[in-house]
Amino acid sequence: MSFFKPSCRFLVVNFAVISLVGCVTSRIEQSREAITGINPDEAIVILSRASYNEHETDDSFTSCLSGILSKGPTPIRLISEAEFKDSLYPWFEPRTAPTSADDLAKLFAQPGVQARINESKLRYLAWIEGDTITVDSGGSMSCTLTTFGGGCFGMSYWEQDSKYEATIWDLENLTSVGQISAVANGTSYLAGLIIPIPILARPDNAACKGLASQLRAFVLGDQAPSQEAL
Amino acid sequence: MIKLRYCIQGIAVFVTLLLVGCTTSVNVEGTIPTPLVQKIPANIGVHYSNEFKTFQYKEVMRDTGTWKINLGSQNLGFFQKLLTTMFNSIEEVPEPPFKLGEMQHLDGVIVPRIVKYGFLTPSISGLNFYSASIQYQILLYNRGGEVIGDWNIVGYGKSEAGIFGADDALGEASMLAIRDGGARIAIELSTQPEVIEWLGTLRSRGDQKLK
Repeated sequence: MSFFKPSCRFLVVNFAVISLVGCVTSRIEQSREAITGINPDEAIVILSRASYNEHETDDSFTSCLSGILSKGPTPIRLISEAEFKDSLYPWFEPRTAPTSADDLAKLFAQPGVQARINESKLRYLAWIEGDTITVDSGGSMSCTLTTFGGGCFGMSYWEQDSKYEATIWDLENLTSVGQISAVANGTSYLAGLIIPIPILARPDNAACKGLASQLRAFVLGDQAPSQEAL
Repeated sequence: MIKLRYCIQGIAVFVTLLLVGCTTSVNVEGTIPTPLVQKIPANIGVHYSNEFKTFQYKEVMRDTGTWKINLGSQNLGFFQKLLTTMFNSIEEVPEPPFKLGEMQHLDGVIVPRIVKYGFLTPSISGLNFYSASIQYQILLYNRGGEVIGDWNIVGYGKSEAGIFGADDALGEASMLAIRDGGARIAIELSTQPEVIEWLGTLRSRGDQKLK
């Protein structure tokens, strides 16, 4: 005979799962400079802005954004970063890429660039900047292993801040159409109660989901379904 | 006596395995894009030295062992595509100096060279990525065999460091350094004053022929 009734066991499992996911707070802000919209055959490309310091957007973040945008009830056609950079080489390498939408006209004057963009039906380019950093950490935990057994005791924590910004350029009108920023914060814990129990907060994941959702709505413009429908 | 021989052989195998285990061999791989640039109106000869074709960098580090980076084939493939796209026509030529009248059918000769390659691991830089840099020298000869242009271009690349796969990360950083150097050559070569002047002389020579 089981110790818990099935309904009680369900509640315990749910409680355990929920308690192992740390809390994350996130905020999404948007600034629009022009009306947007996209045809089903048009595409967008997501590029991480390269820098030569340590704080650079991880590939995993842009992959997360692409994964979300290309799925769902209103998927958007995406061109991969590698394919885009190869097809427009050498114009989107870290040191040659345009730094502002004002440089787009000059870039499009280069032979073949406009034709290549038109051929791939690329409508928007989203530059992603930002990263996730650990802002605080503390606590202590020690683990012991003896011939009679072992265990971990104590607790440690680390707080992470995720700050990302997407700048969207319209490649048809050669202008910047807006920015979306996502800020998320979360604290993860590792509690040692004989076995180490991680309670992980994923602010980068929350920022990715928030930014992707807002970016989809931004690009679709009037075509975007209501939040309830999503 | 036989036992001693087996023992020595065993030790030799063990030492060899130990040395092999401490060597990280990096093969640089990646796509070779076709540059989207306007062709320079010139027929060019190019000389790739054996050192350029088979360039390999080796460095022994105290904490991470020996690193062997094989750049040669990827770098050669990259330059072949780059220069073929940049000029009207390209043909491989022998090493300068040239015999009198040998290069008369060409407008000039380019000789690319790798001057320096270097890399940093996270344990050295304290940053969470591998970085690589390549310094290229591009020499431009006129058809008379005189050096009319000499440029140094540095390509830089970096790649995130995972817990494993240091060879992949350094390979990617090196590939990005080749791409970066190639991008600068593709964009900046035609804007160099020496190249502008050289193209001017080619144009005026063409005009004279037409007359």
